[in-house]
Order: sequence, then C-alpha cells, then structure tokens
Amino acid sequence: MVLKIFFPQCCNRADSGLLVGRWVSGHDSAVVLAVIHYPFIPGQVKQYIQQLQAQSGVELSVLGSWSLPKEGQEGLESFIRDLSTIFPQEPWLQISRQVGKTGFTCEVLGRDQIGKAAQQEEEEDEEKVIFVHYEQMKVMLSQLHPIESQNPDNRSEPPSELRQMFQTVARSELLFFLDRYDDGPLKSTHWQSEGREASIIVELLKRASVPLCVFISWLLSVWTWFCNIRIFSVFPLSFLSSKLSTCVQLNYRTEHLRTLSSPRAAEGHMEFMRKANILVSVLVDVALGVLLMSWLYRDENISTLAHTLVPAADHVARQLEELLQWLMGAPAGLKMNRALDQVLGRFFLYHIHLWISYIHLMAPFIEGILWYGGLSACLGLTFALSLLSDMVALFTFHIYCFYVYGARLYCLKIYGLSSLWRLFRGKKWNVLRQRVDSCSYDLDQLFIGTLLFTVLLFLLPTTALYYLVFTLLRLVVVLFQGVLHLIVDFINSFPLFSVGLWVCRSYRLAEGVKFRVLCDEPGTALHLLMEMNPLRFGSVLQTYRTATYSCYPKDSWGALVRKLFIGELVFPWRHKTTKTD
Amino acid sequence: MGADGAPSQSVPWRKVLWERQPFPDNYVDQRFLEELRRNEGIRQYRYWAVVKEAGFVGQQLSCVAVFITLWLYMEQGLLAPEVLLWTSLSCAMLGYGLHQALTSQAESGCETRTHLADLQSAALFLSFTFGFSPVLKTLTESVSTDTVYAMSAVMLLAHLVSFPYGKPSPPGSLSLNAALFASVCLASRLPGALHTFAMLTCALLVFALWPCLLQRLRENAPCQFTGVCVGVCVGGVGGLASQSLGGAVLFSLALVSVTLLCPLLLIWLQRHKDNIQGPWDEAEIHEDLSNFLH
Repeated sequence: MVLKIFFPQCCNRADSGLLVGRWVSGHDSAVVLAVIHYPFIPGQVKQYIQQLQAQSGVELSVLGSWSLPKEGQEGLESFIRDLSTIFPQEPWLQISRQVGKTGFTCEVLGRDQIGKAAQQEEEEDEEKVIFVHYEQMKVMLSQLHPIESQNPDNRSEPPSELRQMFQTVARSELLFFLDRYDDGPLKSTHWQSEGREASIIVELLKRASVPLCVFISWLLSVWTWFCNIRIFSVFPLSFLSSKLSTCVQLNYRTEHLRTLSSPRAAEGHMEFMRKANILVSVLVDVALGVLLMSWLYRDENISTLAHTLVPAADHVARQLEELLQWLMGAPAGLKMNRALDQVLGRFFLYHIHLWISYIHLMAPFIEGILWYGGLSACLGLTFALSLLSDMVALFTFHIYCFYVYGARLYCLKIYGLSSLWRLFRGKKWNVLRQRVDSCSYDLDQLFIGTLLFTVLLFLLPTTALYYLVFTLLRLVVVLFQGVLHLIVDFINSFPLFSVGLWVCRSYRLAEGVKFRVLCDEPGTALHLLMEMNPLRFGSVLQTYRTATYSCYPKDSWGALVRKLFIGELVFPWRHKTTKTD
Repeated sequence: MGADGAPSQSVPWRKVLWERQPFPDNYVDQRFLEELRRNEGIRQYRYWAVVKEAGFVGQQLSCVAVFITLWLYMEQGLLAPEVLLWTSLSCAMLGYGLHQALTSQAESGCETRTHLADLQSAALFLSFTFGFSPVLKTLTESVSTDTVYAMSAVMLLAHLVSFPYGKPSPPGSLSLNAALFASVCLASRLPGALHTFAMLTCALLVFALWPCLLQRLRENAPCQFTGVCVGVCVGGVGGLASQSLGGAVLFSLALVSVTLLCPLLLIWLQRHKDNIQGPWDEAEIHEDLSNFLH
C-alpha cells in the first residue's frame, strides 16, 4: 500500500506543530493544508477545526504531527507522541525532518497501533509513503480542465484524486486567514504567511464596481423598455430589425452588458471567466472604435470619403451597363436568342437607370449620413463594421433584385424543362410514390408539351447566362459582407482575458500535473514536486470562447452548388441564435 | 448409360431425391432429356405476308420523305404557305370524314369523343400554333444550319425507330414528340411566320393524324390498306426525285431493302432458330378466372 501525502512547500521550514488537512476518501492520500504551532490548547484546536469545517464544507481534521527540531526543543518529541492520544484519528502521521537533510521521515500509526512499538510491523509490508510537494498558492488559484459541472448530482462517478485535492485546497480559503503573525489563539503556517498580497487599485475597483453596476443596469432597463414598445413589433420593423446586423449586434451587446452588470458576484470559475472575457472584449471594442473615430474625424476624412462615394457608385453603374450591353450582343460566341436577350437587357438597364437617379438624389445627404454614422463607432468597432455591412447591403440592393429576378426565371425554366422532358419520353412524376412512372398522354397534351419543350430548350442559354452573371455579382457582395461579419464575430467571441491569463499566469489554467523527483534515496520516502501542466492554446480558445450569433455557412459545398444549378435562391450565411448556458 | 463407370445394378435407378441409391450423384439413365422440346412455338413465316407487314415500315419512311420534300419546296420558295395550309386543311377534312365513315361501320357506341370535342381539339391546335409561330420562328436563328440539320435527322431517326408499328392509333409519346421536335427545328428555318405555321400544321397532319387513319384502314379495309401503302411509297420516291436524283435513288434502295430484303433475311435465318423448352422452365401462371365469375 502506498500512502500519498500532499505537502505544501511553504511548510517545509515551519516550526513543529500539528498538521491540519484532509484525508481524501478512497484513495489513500492526505492533503496537508497548514501547520498549527505550539503553544495551543487542543480543545481550541478542535473547536476551530469544527468551525472551519462548517463554514467551508471541507472535511478538515488533524492529520498528525510535524516536527522540525531546533535547539532547545528536544523534549517536544515525546510530547508529540502523546498528542496522538488526544486527537483520535484513524491513521496518525508523524512526519519529522532534520535541519540540513532533504528527506522527511514519516511514521504512520493506525489506531490500534498507538503505543506499540513499530518493529512489530516488520513482518508485514511496510507502508510506503510518497511525499508530493505542491505550491499552495498556485494550486489554490488553479482550475483543472476539463471543467466538471457544478451540480454534484449530475456526476456519474466520483471525482478523481487530483480533482479532489485541488478542490480541497481551493475551498479552504478560510483556513488561510489566520497566520502566525496574528494575535489570535492559534498560529498557523500556510502560503499566506509569506506575506499577504493585496492591491489598492483592485480594492478600489471592487468598491466602485457596485454603484457602477447599479447604474448600468438602470440604463439597460430603460433601453429594454424602449425597445419593447409596441410600435417596434409591427411586422415590417421587426423583420427589418432581425435582418439588419446593427440591430443584432446591439441586442447582443445589451445581453452582454446585462450579464456584466448583475449585482451578484460570479459563482464558479466558468462564470467568472465569461464575465471577464466579456468585459475585456467590450473595452477592446470601444478602444478600437475610438481609434477609428479619431482617424475618421480628423483632416476632413469624412468629406473626402463622401466625395469619392458618389463617383464610385456611378462607376459601378457604368460597368454594369457595359456588361449588359455585352450580354445583349453575342457574348463569348454563345447562341443567344435575340428577342429574349433584348427584352431582358432593356429591363435590367431600366433598373440601373432608376438606381443611378436615386443615388444622385441622395448625394447631398451622404456626408451628413457618414458623419452621424461614424459616431456609432464610439460604441465599438463592431458597431461601425455592422453599420458598414448594412450600408453595403443597402447600396447593392439592385444587384440583389437582379439576382432574384434572374434566379426565379431560371428556376421556372429548369422546372418546366424537367417536367416537359418527362413528357417527351412519355413518363410522369408520381407524387404519391415519389418516382417517375409511365403515362399515356392525350394527343393535345403531347403536342402542346412538345412545342413548349422546344421553346424552353432553345431559350435556355440566354436565361442561363443572365442568371450566371447576376449570381456571380451577388456572390461577390455576399463574400464581402461575410468578411465583415467574420471580423465582427472574431472581436465578439475571442476570449482575450483567458488568453492573457494563459500567457501571464499559465498555472491558473491547468490541464494536468507533472511530477519531478526531488529526492529518491533508498531508506527514505520518495519526494516528488508537483507542477501544473498548462492548458494548450487550442483548448483555451475552445473552452472559453464566448457564444455568439456567428454567421457560418448554411450549406455544404455540394448542396450550395446544387442549389445554384437548379436556380434556388441561396442565402449562404445563417445566423446562429445565441446559446444560453 | 451411366456416368463414372458405375455398374448397372439390378435395382433400377429412380429420379428421386430422398432415397439413398447405390448410384453416384451425377448418374443419368437412358431417359435423360427425353422431355426436351425444340422450337415449340415457332411460327412459319410466309414471305409475302411478311412483306405486307414490312410495307407499313416502308410507308412510314415514305411519310418522312414526303414531309422533307414539302419542306424543301417551302424553303426554296416554290410552294406558297397559303397553298400548303389550305391543302392540309382540306386533306384533314377528307381524312376526318373517312375516319368517321370507317368507324361507323365497325363499333359505333364505343367511341366517346363527340364531334364537338374534336372541333375543340382542332381549334386548340391551330390557335396555339398560330400564336407561337413568331416565337418558334426565331428559335434557331443563332444556331448554325449544320446543327439544325443534324438535330432534325437524329430526331426523325428516333421517330422511325420508336414508332409503334403494331398499333399506331394511340401515338407513342417518344415518336410523336421526336417528330414534332424535328419539324419545329426545320420549320424555324423558313423565311416567315406563316411558313412556320403551315409547316407545323402539315407536320401535325402527317405524324399525328395520318397514323390514326391508317389504323382504321388496316382494321376495316386491309386490301385498300396495302394499296395506300404502295401509293405513299411511290409518292415519297417521286417527291424526292423531283428535288435530287441521288437522294431518290438512295431512298428507293432503302425502301427495297426494308420491304423486300429484310423479310427474306428473316425467313432465311429461321433455320438457325434453336429454342429448347422443358420442365426446367419457369412456371407460367395461366389465370383462369372462370371459377370466380360464376
């Protein structure tokens, strides 16, 4: 049998005393948390330990005794041995260390062995003891991944030994309040004895955060009341607001701020990390937005931008007109039906003419729009980008219209052709059985069907070409919008705080532990040093990524190509609704 | 007779599966294959009967030839579209009258189509074709001539191959559609919309309505049927001859080979026929519903 004792490194040089800690049930190991020094009154120690147990929920107990004999303390050895009678504990550990030597010696006394000599145990296997040294502060602050759910009822098997050890140290924070420099009845040594860490700025922020949270939640409630006014749930407005990415981003950030401004503190590691990530993300967003604003409003950049916008739109329209003229001729030597070509080309040219007039009408207002729109960047870079995406969508609305017309025409044609091709062969689509069956048609059906089939077949190249051209244009616009959304999504979801923690204090995110041998001499117990194995970068991103309404492709490549071939309208990006934990 | 040199025993061999016999498993006796029947359902063809049936195929070939001739005339401007139109309409009337006369001799109560329904169909055809003829005319404008000719040729071939020679009256979908497709392709090459309309009416007549009349003739007046076939063949050859002599020669060669040579080949190859039937064939179920009808 091997007994593992987790021993804090801060207690290596502690004065003699009692070991306080916890036996990990079922695993034959003990976690030492602190050493309580002489002088003490056993009754007070028991009372203290019971009080701590009630408050923290950890099953603390006195594990044994620790002796580091210094000059003038020789009589303590027998005193220590008598202590085992006062604290009835199942195995009683007696750990001692000589100044100058690296190894510890440990004797384990069971309850029935107290008072007997140890040499009666030599016939049986001696209990092997392994000392695992750990750094208490790091283990207390660290979180073991993968994180288990908080609900103890959901766990199917009891947590592993390592997890229990980490939890024990993390939950025993109350033990670490009294240290040996206090004037209380008990003096103990633990990691805080080296010197308690505190920072004035952190304390001030903590004090100031409460009224700030109250204020922000009041603002949010006003905003929510405003958004829920009945007039906004009328059909066109609610539909628009679900499509405009600015509104979506607004809702999303409102949710975040609501999470941040809730008055109760974060329970559990995941909630704390989430709040921290959201806060850092909002701050970085606003900082980037202010940077953008400072560039935009300086040196007349806005008017320059406005003055290049209208000529750019004109240029795009002229290019489109040229394209249509090319299509109305004989593009790439393809066999176009002249009459249909002329009809479609003139129809689209008229649309472009309408759109150009609209742009020229809006020309004087563009600068004002840009100026006020740029103000939205103070809310964050994501808002500016969402606004840009929406404006692009608005300005390329005519391309979207052309695409829809072309796609509908093409889809109708393909559908008619496939149905009439079946008629050509004398077959029919059986809707009930979802298969193609033979069918005997009447003479008039055959006649008209064949005529229509011929007409549709010969008009196919013309329609297909228009459809192809407008689909490509639409896909270019969609791609650009997709890139903007990707950037917004990245800023929204990247867990900057977690990554910063991983860089600076990597022990706080631990994937596991690694052991280093400190002292392995025969005759003494094995001493190992336990160090944290930090989490990999990929796991950090995956675990702490903020859930967003991210856009990702709705269809696989094969399905997308098939939809384009048939002429079904494609909306390549789909918004995922925000997951709620 | 035995296999693997098995000795003939005093116990005779029985063709049963369940009994252990002293013979090897692949033993056969002298009654082997006595139930084999050769060429049971073979028919004896007579040359002239087959030629008469093959005449129908030749007739259909000639129909296609007549149609192509008419198109050639229209394209060269030798035939005015109005002439063709009125001729087609009057032929249609004549054919309809003939069809009704032949029908009333045979079953009179089985046909459910009234004259009104026929008139409706005719009106539908004509109006649809007339309405679409400007569109149809511009369909193959940008397609090259060779492609149009190749497509028409393939489609007419498909029409001939898939024609229901056994029972032409409900027209087969693929054959009729292929013929109409070819006629639309050819008709769109003509100079005017009226030409297209006339051509399509003619195509409808030749490919859709003529086989119905032929079916009636074949049922009710077989001798006249043969005469009509011969007449159509002669007309086809003559029409082609007026346009190109080489084409006519080729066409008559084709006719002769289909009508006269192929039956000869069929009868000559009968001697190599070797069908075997026996008790190993799949069972055919002859439904006898007389038990249920009483």
